[in-house]
Amino acid sequence: MTSSDVDLVVETVRDILTKYEPFVLTAERPWDAGLWSALAEAGLTGVGLPEEAGGSGGELADAVAVVGTLAAGAAAVPVAEQLLVAAPAVLAAGLDLPAPEEPLSISVDGAVTAEPRDDGDGPGSWTLTGTATDVAWAGVAQHLAVLATSPVGPVLALVDVTGRETTHAANLAGEPRGSFVLQGVTAAGALLTDAQAGQLRARYALARAVQLSAALQQVLAWTVQYAGERQQFGRPLGRFQAIQMELAEMAGEVTAVAALVDAAVQAVERGESQVLAAAAAKVRAGAAVEVVARLAHQVHGAIGFTQEHRLHHLTRRCWSWRDEAGTETAWARVLGAGLLVDGPDALWPALTRVL
Amino acid sequence: MGSNSLTLAPAPRSAAAEEVRAEVREFLAAELAAGSFSTHVDTWLSGVDPAFSRKLGERGWLGMTWPKQYGGHERTAMERYAVTEELLAAGAPVAAHWIADRQSGPNLLRYGTEAQRQEILPRIAAGECYFVIGMSEPDSGSDLASIRTRATRNGNGDWVVNGAKVWTSNAHTSHYAITLVRTAPADPANRHAGLSQLLVDLSLPGITVNPIRILDGGHHFNEVVFDDAIIPGDMLLGEEGAGWHQVTAELAFERSGPERFLSTYPLIAEFARRAAEAQDPAQLATLGRLSARLLALRQLSLRIAGALDRGELPDIPAALVKDVGTTFEADVIDEVRRVVDVPASLDSPDPLGRALAEAQLHAPGYTLRGGTNEILRGIVARGLGLR
Repeated sequence: MTSSDVDLVVETVRDILTKYEPFVLTAERPWDAGLWSALAEAGLTGVGLPEEAGGSGGELADAVAVVGTLAAGAAAVPVAEQLLVAAPAVLAAGLDLPAPEEPLSISVDGAVTAEPRDDGDGPGSWTLTGTATDVAWAGVAQHLAVLATSPVGPVLALVDVTGRETTHAANLAGEPRGSFVLQGVTAAGALLTDAQAGQLRARYALARAVQLSAALQQVLAWTVQYAGERQQFGRPLGRFQAIQMELAEMAGEVTAVAALVDAAVQAVERGESQVLAAAAAKVRAGAAVEVVARLAHQVHGAIGFTQEHRLHHLTRRCWSWRDEAGTETAWARVLGAGLLVDGPDALWPALTRVL
Repeated sequence: MGSNSLTLAPAPRSAAAEEVRAEVREFLAAELAAGSFSTHVDTWLSGVDPAFSRKLGERGWLGMTWPKQYGGHERTAMERYAVTEELLAAGAPVAAHWIADRQSGPNLLRYGTEAQRQEILPRIAAGECYFVIGMSEPDSGSDLASIRTRATRNGNGDWVVNGAKVWTSNAHTSHYAITLVRTAPADPANRHAGLSQLLVDLSLPGITVNPIRILDGGHHFNEVVFDDAIIPGDMLLGEEGAGWHQVTAELAFERSGPERFLSTYPLIAEFARRAAEAQDPAQLATLGRLSARLLALRQLSLRIAGALDRGELPDIPAALVKDVGTTFEADVIDEVRRVVDVPASLDSPDPLGRALAEAQLHAPGYTLRGGTNEILRGIVARGLGLR
C-alpha cells in the first residue's frame, strides 16, 4: 500500500461527500441512507476487507482513511463500526462476512450470554439471551456482531437484526445508540480467547480515536478559517493575539492526538498487541476534545452555538465519541494498570514498549 | 488544511535506537546500583556532575550525530533521541554537558571555523567542555532582538564586549558561552539586523559570573557581566550580522527534545509506586491519563528527530511540541496532587513528597525557558497562517 493509494481513497470519499451535506439527525431520519448507497456502490463499504470474503481489498490504512474522511465530514453512516471493528472481527473469528452493502455494527459491552447449541471447536451455533445495549446504529444496521459471554469463554456471534425491534436512544449528536433484547436467538458464533476479546474492545476504542482525530483536525481547520474571515473591530479575529493563543492551543492538542493515533494504527498494521496503544489513543483523543471543542465554540461565538452553523455536527459527535467504546476514565485505568504489570520500577520500559 | 505546516511525517522505526537504548538502560541501572547518582526532577538544569558527563562521553553518547573527525559518532538523531530520553527518565545528572551537546555543538558544526570545530567539538563529545546560552539579558526576555550587549572591534581586530546576559544556566561550571551581541547599531526598520554570535571563553578577564538563585535556593542561573572584555577577533561564530538567523536555527534544536516533556518524569515514576501499591482506581486512571499525554509527546518528539535526520529544520513543529510538552510537565504536579494525600516538602520523609516539592519549585521555569509558551504559540499561529 502506498500513500498515493490512500490519497486516491480520500479523494474518492471527498468527491462523494460533496453531494451529501450533514444534517440534524432525528428518530425519523437517523442516518444518511443515500450516502451509504453511494459509498457501497463505489465499493467503499468493503475497503480493507479481502476480496475473497466479498470486500473491496486494500489495507487497514485505506480503511482508516475512509473512516477518517467520513468522520471529518460528519457523515451519518456506520462505516467505522463496519470497516475497523465488526468486519475484521467477524473474519478473524472465521464467521461468514455479510455483504458489505448491508450495514454491520458491533456490540461489546452488553449483558448477552451465549449457550452452545453444538459442541464443535470452530464456528458453531449459539443461543443468545440478554440485552445488547448502546448499539451503534441500532435500527440502521442489518447485522450485529455481539461479544457475548458463555460458560466456555467469550463468544463473537453474528446476528441478523434486520427489522428487529430496538429501543430508541441516541448520542449527543443524534446518532442511534439503541438496545436489542435478545431472547433465545439462534446465531452463528465462535469462541474467542480472553485476549482476543480484549483486542476487540481495544479495536473499537481505536476506531473511535481515529474518528476523533479526523474530526478534531477538521474542527481546527474550520476554526482557523472562521478566524480568518470573521471581522470584528475592523480586522479578522485571527489578528488578535488572544485568539491566536487559543488557536495555537487547539493546534497543539490536535497535532498530539494525530501523532498518537497514527502511531497506534501503525502498531496494529505491524500486528503488535494493540490494547495499551489503543487505550492511550482513546484517552488522549478524548482529553483533547475538552480543549478543542471548547475553544472552537469560543472562537466561533454565538453562531457556532446554533444548528444553523456546521460546527455542531462535529463538536456534538466528539463529545459523544469520547465516551463511546469505553470512556477515557475506563481506558485510563486499563492503561495505568497495564503499564504497572511488571511493577512500578518497570514503568518506563513499559511506556517505551507501548509505541 | 491549516495545520499542515505543523505536522511531520511519522518517525521511522529504528533498530539501532532500540539497541543503544538497551545499552543506556543497562549502564544507568549499574550506576544507580553503585550509588553514583540519585534520581531527581529536572536534572538537565540542576544535575551538574562532570564525572558523570565524562562517563557518557567515554561510551560515545555525546556528540552522537557529529562527524567522526570532530570526535562525533555519526549516529542518527533517532539514536541520540533514545539516549537522551533514557537519561532524562532516570533523572540522571546530565546538566553539565546538556547545552553543549544539544545545541552549541551543532551550532559550531554549522557555523564554526575549522579551528573552532577541531579545538572544541572533540572536548564536548568527551564530556569535558560545557556551554551556556548567552541570549537573554536583564531588559530583553522574550523580545530577544532588543538585546543591548555590544561588541565593537578594537585596533587589533578583537571584540570589546560590554553588557550582561542572564539566566545563563550553570555559567559557573561551564567553559564557553555562545553569546548574542549587537555588532551594529539597532535599526528600527530591521530589528533583526546587526546581531552576531561570539564564542566567548568564560575565563577571560572582564567577565564576571554572579549567581542568581532559583526558588528552591539552587544555584543554576547566573548573570554574566561583560566589562570591556576582550574577545579574540577569530571568535566570531558564523557571519557578522547573521546572528538572528543563526539563533533561530539553534532554537530548533533547543526546543524539540524529550527534555521538553520529561523534566518531571521522575515524579510520575514515584507516583507510579504509590499507585501500584494502593491499586486505587483514581490513581491508576491518573497514571493512565498522564501516560497517554506522555506517549503522544514522545511520538511528536520522535517525528522531529526523524525530520532532523532528513536534514530538515522543523522550527514550527518544535515550538508546538515545546508548548504542549512543557504544559504537561507542570500539569503532572497538579494531576498527581488531586489523587494523593501527600504534602510537598523538600524535607519530606516520603520520596513522593520530595519529588512533588522539587517539581513544584522548578515548575515556573518549564514554560519560560527556551522561549515562553506565549512566544511559542505565536510561532504556532504563524504556522497556522494567522500572522
